[in-house]
This record gives sequence, structure tokens and C-alpha cells, in this order.
Amino acid sequence: MVESVAVPISVYRYDPARDATPRYVDYSLDLPRHTPVLTALLKIRSEIDSTLSLRYSCRSSICGSCAMLINSKSRLACQTQVGPELDLHGRVVVDPMRNQPVLRDLVVDQGPFWQDYERIVPHLVPDPAHPMPEGKPNPMTPEQVDRFYETPRCIACGACYSACPAKEADPTFPGPMALAKLYRFVVDPRDGARRERLLRIQPGGLWTCLRCHLCTSSCPKDVRPSERIRDLKELAIHEQGATEAGSRHAVGFKENLHDRGLLNEMRLVRQTDGVVGLLRQAPQGLRLARKKPELLKKPRRIEGQDQVQKLYELLEDEEGGA
Amino acid sequence: MQRHDVLVVGAGLAGQRAALAAAQAGRDVGLVSKLHPLRSHSGAAQGGINAAVGAEDSVETHIYDTVKGSDYLGDQDAIEFFCTEAGSTVVEMEHFGTIFSRAPDGSLARRPFGGAGFPRTIYAADRTGLALLQAIYEHLGTEKIHTYEEWDLVELVFRDGRAQGVVAYNRRTGEFEGIGARAVVLATGPAGRVYSRTTNSHSSTGDGIALAYRAGAQLKDMEFVQFHPTALLESGILITEGARGEGGILKNVSGERFMVRYAPHVQDLASRDVVSRAIVTEINEGRGFPGGYVHLELMHLGKEKVESRLQEICDFARNFAGVDPVTEPIPVLPAQHYMMGGIGTTMRGETNLAGLYAAGEAACVSIHGANRLGGNSLLETLVFGKQAGIAAAAYAAGVTNGTVLPSDVEHAAAPIRAMMARTEGAEPLPLRAEMQAVMERRAGIYRNDADLRAGFAELFALRSKAATLRVVDRSTVFNLNVTDALETRNLLDLAEVILAGAIARTESRGAHARTDYPKRDDAKWMKHTVAGYSPLGPQLSYAPVAYTRWDPKERVY
Repeated sequence: MVESVAVPISVYRYDPARDATPRYVDYSLDLPRHTPVLTALLKIRSEIDSTLSLRYSCRSSICGSCAMLINSKSRLACQTQVGPELDLHGRVVVDPMRNQPVLRDLVVDQGPFWQDYERIVPHLVPDPAHPMPEGKPNPMTPEQVDRFYETPRCIACGACYSACPAKEADPTFPGPMALAKLYRFVVDPRDGARRERLLRIQPGGLWTCLRCHLCTSSCPKDVRPSERIRDLKELAIHEQGATEAGSRHAVGFKENLHDRGLLNEMRLVRQTDGVVGLLRQAPQGLRLARKKPELLKKPRRIEGQDQVQKLYELLEDEEGGA
Repeated sequence: MQRHDVLVVGAGLAGQRAALAAAQAGRDVGLVSKLHPLRSHSGAAQGGINAAVGAEDSVETHIYDTVKGSDYLGDQDAIEFFCTEAGSTVVEMEHFGTIFSRAPDGSLARRPFGGAGFPRTIYAADRTGLALLQAIYEHLGTEKIHTYEEWDLVELVFRDGRAQGVVAYNRRTGEFEGIGARAVVLATGPAGRVYSRTTNSHSSTGDGIALAYRAGAQLKDMEFVQFHPTALLESGILITEGARGEGGILKNVSGERFMVRYAPHVQDLASRDVVSRAIVTEINEGRGFPGGYVHLELMHLGKEKVESRLQEICDFARNFAGVDPVTEPIPVLPAQHYMMGGIGTTMRGETNLAGLYAAGEAACVSIHGANRLGGNSLLETLVFGKQAGIAAAAYAAGVTNGTVLPSDVEHAAAPIRAMMARTEGAEPLPLRAEMQAVMERRAGIYRNDADLRAGFAELFALRSKAATLRVVDRSTVFNLNVTDALETRNLLDLAEVILAGAIARTESRGAHARTDYPKRDDAKWMKHTVAGYSPLGPQLSYAPVAYTRWDPKERVY
């Protein structure tokens, strides 16, 4: 038989009907090391305290119900084993997901998450120029299917949404899941609204992404939302040009490096926010001039700048060829 | 009270397809589910959906394979309709946005599945259910439908000889509420959780089947329970038949590919009941691995193929069993997987009760007879979900509004409130676990009279405990203990129907394998079991199998 170990588990408990404030309740269970956290929580429900409330269904990481914070990381309880958690943290601390109001215990209100999902028009929009072939499937090559990357694997668990600092800072940001879903429609050869989708999302929050990649590291299905957000940014600039502060910043960054190999901060701020923006940042500029004046100087061309430009050329060729 | 023309309960593939059909027919549609629609158990289906679209294949062969797979208990007229609809159903789902896997020429890729004459199973990697569920949900989003998300079904309301709606429990508020409807469609899925070892989700508790049964609907063929041959040893998590479709093989403790002995022609791809029994026989005769399991090997397929075609399986094996299928065998054992039986319906989803319709795994048309073929269940949800939605919409057009009275709500809520008021009595979850152990021990893959009767007696004792069921949680917000109690009550009823049908059926057919009656007995038993509710227990009667062209033959693979 597999040996059991003592597993201390602290679970966030809060029932708005009776508790003034949330509290943690400690449980101790004897479990084999490879026991999923969900199994531990269900054991608490069936053997210790059946008032513990949480969402769960499939227990095999396909329904997306049991996303929560386990030792401060957003992930699925069914997919996280207790052993490695004990090794790293000595115990298992379970909290509800972030960026969504707590309803009770580990159950959060996913209303905002689903509203953000709805914002990206999550269905195929018919393309009048290319109607669906009558009685036949649309032809699509394996290569075209590959262009979805892992986005069809998304189970809408919300772990990325919970982990996202951009969502925390700016509630109007749709969050990683909705953007990964948007990408799924943008690359779908059957969709008739590709351009509208890309135009709409530029001012609609695409550039709020901080590129921290916490969504990708928290995703239980390896959907890699941050990489798809990067792809969307490229596609959006390609479609519309750099129309947002975010996209102008990205393009400016690229041009700076291309021309000099180093950033020209003055130039980059001007490129991103225009002359008015530059003036608005004057106080910050003055502080910078006192402390690190070298940053405000026009940088010299770095040694081997021609190599950088060659790299750019190669990358652009590759992009054009793809 | 909320009110709709058509109220669909259950938001998996069958429920959403029914809701779509009813909305397209111009009806006002409500959709009730205890889960967000995208969390439905349809999403866990891995392998694929059958449609005879290949040049070498034919609808005729699909029909024949399904009739044979059903061990001649499937209704042949329904199977003919079902297989004929397959091609257009798959095309429709593709047009809704399903991202199917593709062949190099751009057509839909197909893989071979157990019991099929040709590679007939269209798939989306090994997450076909999820791909279909996403697409139908996306498409349904273009219709105006009112969704009651995370509401538990408590009671069906009938008056004046027809359905009037339902009473449901709103988890968010803790309120019991009536929802009136002219027609009700039940698409609440299976009751796999009557067993402890099941591939089914925790939510698969047969709520709609049990409530329909108590309301007077006839349940059909409930003793036919499919055990999937390959579920992970400890957790019972499903390893798709697609793994064997891609070339995976089963081996016993001496490294022997034992399926060669049981099904010389198709070996590891024999029908599910055949493979499950073979595994249990190997283990019972001492050829299993210590602890009682066999190996599923994928290593010989190579890293590339395993990781691209069986991506989810790789994750499952790595995360839930701690083995890497690229380099190691996967320890597997059969587990309850599918219920061929359910609420008896016509091909249009009609039950014996006016205004009540059913579809998907909650229903029994019957397509699958005594044993379902892989790839036919996803197809069933869509084909008959649509039919039930159309029929319910047509019925709703011809009747007046359904009304759920405050007294109906009180009638449904009173027993639960009594459970919440109790300070002593059995708790739902431990009682459920006891029931699951009984079913696992007494009504598994191999059955016999003595075991089944003992199980019936044990269950009877549990049912008397259930009379004093106690809900410990008194909260009004996300009180899952109320859900536990509702589900346990439902599961207990259905466990009893399964046992009653299994005791009575003194033959072996498809998934129902009796060691004391090892042969199929067509003269006596080529008929459907029909179970009706009575306070004393299930009342069994029998109905003929619809028969068109295929004479019963011995099932050999």
C-alpha cells in the first residue's frame, strides 16, 4: 500500500449569511502524497465538515470548476497534488480565486469573468463573402488547425483571470482568457469578423496586458494566453497600425533598437504619448535629469549595430514568409 | 414565478442542442443547470463522434455495427434514423465552429473505434466533447435564452394531465422557486455516481431520471450499465478508447497481449463490454498485476504520435497516475462509464407523460440497446437533443402556459427544510458512499442472482436510513449540502431500479453479464425492461424491441 503522510490544510472559510469576516480553518488529514488537493477537500466535506462550499465536478481537469488559490497560486485543485506542496510550503493553504468577489468559502462570483468573455463576441460571425459550404464541412488543413495553437484546450476555469495583475489594476481589461478566446476566432478561417475584432480590441484593452506571463504559468491546460495576446498585438498593428499608446510604445521600442541598439527615452515617450504627453511627464523627466542624466541623452549607436539590423531583417523576412 | 414556453433542464450537449432547436422554432426558452453550461460532463468525452462519411464506409454499415453492438436490444428503426442523421449533424457542428482534427487533404480526420467496421470516428484531438460543447455554447449564445445557472432540479410539476414546469433550488440565494413551462425537456445526463468507481463527473447523479421516475415516467433498460475497459487505477479517470484506436494495446502481468485470445479478429478494439470482461477475467484468474489491474501500453507508438494525438491522455496519466505514457505503461482497470438505460422516449424525445421530453444519456430511445459503441453517445446527444427540442417546441405551441403554484414549491421544499431542521440522522455523503460500495460489490461487470439480491436487501436498509436524511449546513448561500441530499435521494432510487432490472433479467446480453445465466436468451429476453415507480419499489414490465431488417446473431469480434 502507498504510505500516507500528515497533510495540514488551511482553508479559507466565509459565509456571508453568518460570518462578519473571513477566517481560516485548519484541518489535518492522512493522505498519500500524490492525492489531489480536490480529493483532500472532498474528504473534508464527506468526513469532517460538509458545510465546506466549493465548485467541482469532473475531477480530471476538463470541466474547469475547481480553480482556486493553492499556496497563493491560481490553479485547479484536482490537478495539484499535496506532496509537492508540502515539500515547498510545509502545508496546503487554500483560498478562493482573486479578481472575483467571494460568494462563500471557495466559491467566487464568476459573473464578471463571463461578462468579459461575452465582450469579445465569442461565436463565429458569418462571412457573407464566404458562406458555409452547403451540406459539407469547411475544408481546413492540419496546418490551419495548428494555428489555433492550444487555445481550443481552454476550459474557462478562470485561473489566468485570477492571476492577472492587469485585471486587478484595471477592471476594464478583459483578462487573459477572453483574449485567448478572441485569438481563437481571429485565426479561424471560417470567421467573417477578423478585421472588426482586431480593430475593436486595440482600444478595448489589448495593450493593458503587462506581459508578466502569470496567465501562462497559471494555466492548467497550457493555453499560453500571454503568447496569444502577443500574437494579437502583432496582428492588430498589422491590421490598423500603431493607434494606441501601447502599440505606439511597442513600435517606438522596436524603432529605437533598430536605429541605435539602445533606447532613447525622450524619443520613446514622444513616440508613445506625443509632444503633449512628453510635457506632461516633464516633472518626472526633471527628477530623472538630476539622478540619471545619462538616460536622457541621445544614445550613441552601439558597437555591432549593423548586426542588430540584420537580425531585424531576418525576423521580418521570416514573418513575411510565414 | 418565471415562465417559459420550453424549459430545458441540463445544459450539456443534449440540453443545449434541444434549447437551440426550441429557440429556432420561435419559442421562449429557459435553460436550467446545476453547472455553468461549459462545465457540463459532455465536455469530458474524449474519443470522437461517429459518422459514416468515408468513401469506403456507409450509413448501412454504421447501422449494422450499432445493431450488433447493442446485442440486438437496440430499436432498429431508431438506429436507422440515428445513423442517417450522423453526417449532417457533424457538418452542422463544424459550421457552428467546432475545431475538428483534419486529414492532410483538409477533410475531417477519422480514427477507428471499437466495434466499428471502418475508421468512422471524427474527432478533435482527444477532447472531442469539449470541442463540441464549446461550439454549441458559442452558437447558442446567438439566440436569446434565459439561463438558470447553478440551480438544482428539485421536482417536476404535473397537473391537468400535463407538465407545468419545475421546482428548482437557486444555490446563490438558497430559495426554492417555481419555473413554469408548457413543455419540459430533461437532459440531465447519467447516474454514474451510483457506483464508487466511475469515469463520470461528481455531478452525474441522474437527477432528471429519478425525478421523472417519481413523477410517473417509465425508465427503460436501466440494468444495462457500461463499464469502460480503461480507466486510471485509483481515480477512475477515463483513458479514451481512442488510445487503443491509435494503436494502444493491453497487456497482462506476463506481458501477454491477452485480447488476442478473447477477440482474435479485432483484439484490443473489440466492443467495450468484451474488453472489460476480458480484463476482469485476466485479473480473476491471476494474470493481473499485484493489486488487480492491467497495463495499457502506448510506448511503441512513439513520443510524437502520443503527444500530438493523445495530448489530454498524456496529461491525465502524468497528473493523476504519475506515469508518462511515452515511456511507461498506464495502469488501468474498468470503471462504470455509461448508462444505456434512462427515461424511455420515442425518436422525438417524447416520454409517456404529456409535455415531458428527454434526450441524451438521461434518455433511452433506445439506440445503444445492451451496449453502446464508442463514438455513438456524442452523436446521440446532438441528434436526439435536436429532436426533443423540436417536439417540445411543437407541443408548447399547442397548449396554454404552465403554472407552478406556491403549494407546488412548498411541497418540493418541505422535505429539504425538514432535513435541515433535523439534528440527528444520516448525512447525505456518507450514505451515498455506502450505496456506491453496495453497487460496486453487487452489480458490477459480472453479476449473479445471489449478489444482486443481497445488494437489493442492503440497499433497502440504506433507503430506510435515507428517510431521516439530515442536511448539516443551514446556510442560504451556496449550501452544497442541500445539493448532496437531493442527489443522494435521486441516486438511491436509481440504484434500486438498476438492481431490480438486473435480478429479473436471467440472461447475459451486452453489458449485463450474469455468471449464472451466461448465454443470451432471445426467445425470452429480446425485450426492453420498463420500470415504473411505486411506493413499494420499482414495478417491472416489458416492451418489444423494434425490429426492421437485422436478425439476431451471435456477437463475435
